[in-house]
Amino acid sequence: MRLVDTLVSVNDGCAVAESVLPRSAIMADGEGKIDEVAFVELIAQSYAAFRGYMDRMSGKPPVEGFLVGVRDLAVAGRAYAGDRLLTSIRTVAAIGGFAVVEGAVTRGDETLASGTLKLWLVDPAAGGDDR
Amino acid sequence: MNALQKGIDASAMEAPPGTGTEAGARRYRFGPEFIGFSGHFPGNPILPAIVQIRAVVSLAEAEGGKALALAAVRSAKFLAPIRPDEDVWIRYRRRVDSGLEICDATLSVAGKTVAAIQLELAAGETPR
Repeated sequence: MRLVDTLVSVNDGCAVAESVLPRSAIMADGEGKIDEVAFVELIAQSYAAFRGYMDRMSGKPPVEGFLVGVRDLAVAGRAYAGDRLLTSIRTVAAIGGFAVVEGAVTRGDETLASGTLKLWLVDPAAGGDDR
Repeated sequence: MNALQKGIDASAMEAPPGTGTEAGARRYRFGPEFIGFSGHFPGNPILPAIVQIRAVVSLAEAEGGKALALAAVRSAKFLAPIRPDEDVWIRYRRRVDSGLEICDATLSVAGKTVAAIQLELAAGETPR
């Protein structure tokens, strides 16, 4: 269920990722409308892409990330298959194994969704996934 | 209806014999073949958070008999992983707050709350 195609830019805890969802995506209906829950996943996967890139640049193995919270994610518009979606993320806190990330999904000048996610990052050396 | 929603609806189970159907509640069992487990994660299948949110919306749609759009996730906490073939109860309550339709839901497995979700729902679809 990979939704992010490309990490477009990375800068000081912020990143932008690009996605173009095909009509065959599991969250696209017969008319190509994308389910609104995809916005949550786009922000989560964009952060994962950012974090994976940073880990790789540091020579570290990538961590596994789990979405453990969502706060005030507002949906303002609908996405369609074939839309060029840009997801901007900003790391607002990273404490222990947790990261708080603000994200927004845009199409052109239009913001389709924005909100805050909390992710739990698991060091692969530590093992386990009980929350 | 998209493939994810179809998979969720197909994972809904009848109420256990003798228990009866509780209003605003439904049991689900997501088998290992459920499309939402695809790639999430290889060798370590966990029900994605967005599937849990979508399941709450679908349940509200089924109960109300009309299509709903997700307008906002006010808050959601995912407290424990949901694995394939676990019985998942979704219980929810709908209310109107300042003209907005709110849905408060919990997901539980074996009597333990594994997620708490508060959504804002809107009738129909958000216009493009």
